[in-house]
Amino acid sequence: MSSQKTQSKRSPEASAFYIAGLILLGIVVVAFVISLFWTPYAPDATDAASKFLPPSLEHPFGTDNFGRDVLSRVMSASKYTIFISAAGVAIALILGTVSGIPAGYYGGFTDRGIMLLGNSIMCFPGILLALVAVAVFGASVTNVIWALGLVFAPTFARVCRLGTMEIKELDYITHARVMGVKPVRIMTFHIFPNLVSQLLPATVIGLANMTLFESGMSYLGLGVQPPDASFGKMLSDAQAYFRVAPWLVIFPAMMLIFYILGLYFISEGMRVSLTKGGK
Amino acid sequence: MTTHIHIVKVHHLTLSFPTRKDPNPKPILNDVDFGIRDGEILGLIGNSGCGKTMTSLAIAGLLPESASITSGSIKFAGKDLLAMDPKSRRAMLGKDIGMIFQEPSTALDPLMTCGKQLEEVLTAHKDSTKTPEERRKAIIEMLETVGFTNAEEILDRYPHQLSGGQRQRVLIAGAALLKPRLLICDEPTSSLDTVTTVSILALLKDLCHKLHMTILFISHDLSAVRGFCDRVMVMKDGKIIDKDTTSDILSHPKNAYTAELLTNARLDTRLLGLEPATVDYTRSPVLTAKNITAGYGDSLFARGKNRKTDNTILHDVSLEVFPNEILGLIGSSGSGKTTLIRSLLGLLPHSGKVNIRSSSVGAIFQDPVSCLNPAHTIKWHMEEALRASGKTDNSVPRKERKAKSLAKIISVLEECGLGEQHLLRHPKELSGGQRQRVAIAMCLIQEPSLIIADEPFSSLDASSSAELLKLMTDINRERSTAFLLITHNIHIVRQICPRVIVMDSGRICEEGNTTDVLTNPKSECTSSLLDAEREIHGI
Repeated sequence: MSSQKTQSKRSPEASAFYIAGLILLGIVVVAFVISLFWTPYAPDATDAASKFLPPSLEHPFGTDNFGRDVLSRVMSASKYTIFISAAGVAIALILGTVSGIPAGYYGGFTDRGIMLLGNSIMCFPGILLALVAVAVFGASVTNVIWALGLVFAPTFARVCRLGTMEIKELDYITHARVMGVKPVRIMTFHIFPNLVSQLLPATVIGLANMTLFESGMSYLGLGVQPPDASFGKMLSDAQAYFRVAPWLVIFPAMMLIFYILGLYFISEGMRVSLTKGGK
Repeated sequence: MTTHIHIVKVHHLTLSFPTRKDPNPKPILNDVDFGIRDGEILGLIGNSGCGKTMTSLAIAGLLPESASITSGSIKFAGKDLLAMDPKSRRAMLGKDIGMIFQEPSTALDPLMTCGKQLEEVLTAHKDSTKTPEERRKAIIEMLETVGFTNAEEILDRYPHQLSGGQRQRVLIAGAALLKPRLLICDEPTSSLDTVTTVSILALLKDLCHKLHMTILFISHDLSAVRGFCDRVMVMKDGKIIDKDTTSDILSHPKNAYTAELLTNARLDTRLLGLEPATVDYTRSPVLTAKNITAGYGDSLFARGKNRKTDNTILHDVSLEVFPNEILGLIGSSGSGKTTLIRSLLGLLPHSGKVNIRSSSVGAIFQDPVSCLNPAHTIKWHMEEALRASGKTDNSVPRKERKAKSLAKIISVLEECGLGEQHLLRHPKELSGGQRQRVAIAMCLIQEPSLIIADEPFSSLDASSSAELLKLMTDINRERSTAFLLITHNIHIVRQICPRVIVMDSGRICEEGNTTDVLTNPKSECTSSLLDAEREIHGI
């Protein structure tokens, strides 16, 4: 990673944000990576004899109303959270750049058309739109990813469009045009690399927001379907037993907070280092 | 307050930018020691990167956070500035020390009227005695002092409605409003044309006498210093190596470096070895432009109101550039020079005919900062230029082709005074002059028959301009490439251009042999340009 190379230039404030963010995010990512190979128990193995067990050595996060091990479920839930947010952001990023850069570069009717489309998506509350899409096309992980990707694409398109409009006026783009470089090549090789510094923080924030959306949808029962675990689903299942078994709420919520807070810290670190230290 | 002979005394100042990796780097300012006398105009000259701006920022207290002053002191009217707390230092800024910067286009807030911005200068310094009416009156008075006849109108204008020179005047008015004792001018004229430069310098001198101000004038333009400053200091690598009265420095330089600066500034063809190629005017021209008319479209707002405004900038311009020729194009700012070349390059919609004999035309622009893509290395830039020219041979295997193009890139870079070691650098690791060279190298690799250069010298210091000029004439002679050189430096045109075109308000007002045009100007705009030049160079 390039973080080693730029270490010397970074301000202490940015470093603090990065370290805090990476630690929080690291907890979730480590849980995710381990869950791919091993969980203490099978995440959906029920055990009627051990319902509502408080945290102990055998079950560090306790057990739920079916006697399933909460630690195992949290670990496997992190898989869906990370997968959905990453895939959704990837879709949003691709759609956003592919539409936003030409909009900014060509201007005029291309710009108006693309932005009209983007703005009409943006004027609905995002979660509502995603919920409607999932309700119409059916609740599945793939549909959630596509719905979230579409809802988030205009945000990235706006970032790209604005950045492109600024960059295309600069001499090096004029120079490229004079040299006879074709527009598609200008957009992909001359403009896009210069947008990365603006897209990176937007991507990280997009990951965090998408996770929130996904949890909200799962909480409402339109996201990940049982018996698969997801943080939102676990929280909605647990609210009935909150008084008898608070650990059912605490542990999934904690993981969700770690993940989102970790991402926010990293994006904050990026913002600080890009505006101050990066110069 | 007691009067001090020296209003500012900088005492053995050393300044550096320590980093975690390198806690003791080479100092940016090294043992700088000078005084500014009360009421004088002190010039500070030197090439870019020599520490002029850092010196001024240290006096104003605007140093970047990462800078650290390792030794020395700065005294302003007897008070030690470095020992003061930041709050009282900030209070001094504007009130005791005023500052004007290089770029008037970005120094004003585009969303505020000039009046509002000037009023802020007064309100920021809590002058509780004044009412809004009194403030308005003071601002109008100051705008009149800086030479506006329509001060009331200017108050309600937005920065984009003013020209560069007018904006610089507004900034000067803002700096002079609180009648500071010291005014620091950091390259205030380098982005202005000659006519405006002369008027701004005259204004500053006038203000200096009227308001009894002291001016620290920073410039890389030696000609601006002549006739304006009382004393001049020469800086090199963070050290002041020469200081004397202006006339002594400029006419009898004792220091070898000062003499070199002067030679470069004079751009003497014989001393620099500039030899442009001889032109054969019987050959067919490389570029013919006929009856070019261009302008900007109406804004949506104006179209909606069904109001037809005349946005035409170029009126019926025709010109020809011959092979081997360096054609000069001069004119004051706003005369349509840049619009003309943008039309020639096909970047603007225009009517009329442009005929270019070869497939590729090269172009280099004014700003060395934005002429290269910051995301890529020099090697990538060169490869991109080569690829875009379509001169790569696709029949040979990839590996061989790569080796061939690399060899070509290196040879072109070397021709432009750069080398293999620059290949993997990023633009930010190069100086302004080096970046302009890369831009030229990118043009050259495409083997154009014509290179259009839009003010390539205006943001370079004297030494870099001299080197760039030499490079251009060498290319002209050895590769027989024609140049269309747009500049506001008439001196350069006189030295290297056999033919010159003078533009004024979108029309060509004079055209012909350089010596004829510049010795017997037939049109008014040429003579006004020449007058301004004469005044500034003190010829």
